[in-house]
Amino acid sequence: MIDTQLMALLTSGAFIIIGLFAAIFLDNIIKKIIGIAFIEEGANLFLLTLGYKPGGVVPIFMPGMDAKWFAANSAYPLPQALVLTSIVIGASTLAVMLAIAMVLYKKHGTLSTSEILGDK
Amino acid sequence: MIDLIPLMVIIPIICALLLNILHGKNKTVKYFAIIVAIVVPIIPLLANYGLHYFGGHVPLIENSGLLSSLPSYISQTPIANFHLAITYSFESLQKIFIFFFGIVAFLAVFTSFNEMKRSSGAYGFLMFMGIAAVIAMLLSDDIFHMYIFFEIAALVQVGIVLASNTEDNYEAALKYLILGSIGGPILLIGIGFLLGMVGSVNITDIVFAVKNNLVNPLSSVFLLSFILIFFGWLYSAGLPPFHTIKSSIYSKALPSGGALLQAFSVMVFVSFGIAILRIFSVIPYSKILIIVFSALAMILSITMAITQTDFRRILGFLAVGELGYIGLGFGIGTQLSVTAGLFQALNEIIITALLFIGFGTIYYLTKVSDIRKLGGLIGVYPKTAIMILIGGLAMAGVPPLNVFQSKLMLIQSALKAGIPELAIFMIIMSIVTFMTFTKVFHSLYLKPKPRDLELAEEGIPKSATISIAVLLIISIVLGVLFKFITTPIFNFVGGIL
Repeated sequence: MIDTQLMALLTSGAFIIIGLFAAIFLDNIIKKIIGIAFIEEGANLFLLTLGYKPGGVVPIFMPGMDAKWFAANSAYPLPQALVLTSIVIGASTLAVMLAIAMVLYKKHGTLSTSEILGDK
Repeated sequence: MIDLIPLMVIIPIICALLLNILHGKNKTVKYFAIIVAIVVPIIPLLANYGLHYFGGHVPLIENSGLLSSLPSYISQTPIANFHLAITYSFESLQKIFIFFFGIVAFLAVFTSFNEMKRSSGAYGFLMFMGIAAVIAMLLSDDIFHMYIFFEIAALVQVGIVLASNTEDNYEAALKYLILGSIGGPILLIGIGFLLGMVGSVNITDIVFAVKNNLVNPLSSVFLLSFILIFFGWLYSAGLPPFHTIKSSIYSKALPSGGALLQAFSVMVFVSFGIAILRIFSVIPYSKILIIVFSALAMILSITMAITQTDFRRILGFLAVGELGYIGLGFGIGTQLSVTAGLFQALNEIIITALLFIGFGTIYYLTKVSDIRKLGGLIGVYPKTAIMILIGGLAMAGVPPLNVFQSKLMLIQSALKAGIPELAIFMIIMSIVTFMTFTKVFHSLYLKPKPRDLELAEEGIPKSATISIAVLLIISIVLGVLFKFITTPIFNFVGGIL
């Protein structure tokens, strides 16, 4: 039987490694930004995985639920709350980076980081 | 008056949002921003010390009604001590730092309105959002909350650079964002490991778990968490390998922006530095690592400052190099050294703001930043030149100014801790800083004025001169009455170590 938590952790690790590779070694700004998005999503998936509970229920307390049963069976909600905030921050950063990329493309006529940044 | 604690963050955020809406209405933006900037340093003086729990959710152990309704594996275990809500902690350190940071922020806002032809609501938004973010970081007892506000502060820094319309500012901003987008998630993963081990992101809870052996501080996961958070701290503070991009960012901002950006960096450095000390000081060699990177920051930054010809880059590198002293104080790890490091941080916020605004006046006058093309400016504005000279001497640690007192404390703490090598190292670095500043000052003010150097007719903005004078007075007062600051900081540090 596949261990869901382990698989999710491995996936997040793969996301981060692929993202790091793209952000460090690829020259095209857009590809770098896509790599950065991979790193951010990998980190978010890692956080979500921490709150995973095998056979657990969604951590929303509904009317009629027994409090003790809920406490014993619900997934840990804190990572989910953190990830929600993290996604918003990540989206803002990506938007700013894409906006800067557009301006730099208009200025330099290329998306090559080495040509745009040079020795700056 | 404990309810005033969250207002230190909420008021600048609301002001930022309103300024954005008011963009285009010049006078309204200007007066509204200045009024709120005056309020920011006043609130910490009125607020009482204490903890503020968002939503009123106190730790379970303080809520007996709720505690009795929970299963025994929660109510009768250490989990009952954990904090349910985001918590702001307001103590003497926060009071001192927010007050002085508030004054620097006010002066930066005040000066910025003379740097631009029209008061920009969007620029005001960025400044106040950054002010709110770094105050929140200093108040927060929640490491994830700190991370979020750090990311906001990083975005604001990029925004301030983009709004400055200086040469190659977009390139520098992109570089900083790319590095930040790698450093940020790495910091987040480190926080994730802590969350996985402890089940909470509250720093007091994490420290409680470590001290009560709920977490093995020598486990590989805890060590990995330290390395990742430490890496994030290096990025956020601009320590090596990020010192070059950090100084580049400072040099691409307007003078008021540079002053504010440096203040942001110091506040971020202090906030995460204290969190790292509290959580990870149990790890062997953690303090040595802090010393190594701080010393590297000093050596690399000052070496690079010597080789530059752009005075804004030189100042940027010197500012990053000065951060190393704070790190050395943290790394030595005694009550005296950490106090000295924190006092140095406070002094650096003031002195680098003075120098950024002071050297900025030369840029207003000449639109030139290459020291080879400048000279003879002492004859044009001698009073400003003398104030900048005193500021530079203060940065280098000349008595009786404020940085002298903090550097002396750092040297004494290194000697008391039995590390005389560090004391000698700090003295050498201070001498090199002094030499670098003297070289720049000579090039700008004392050597003959180049024939082709043209000066702007409008001269130096009065707001800049006033800001420099106020910062200089603060520097002198802190140098003479330093005990009023160091005693409460010393007591605070005793409580966290």
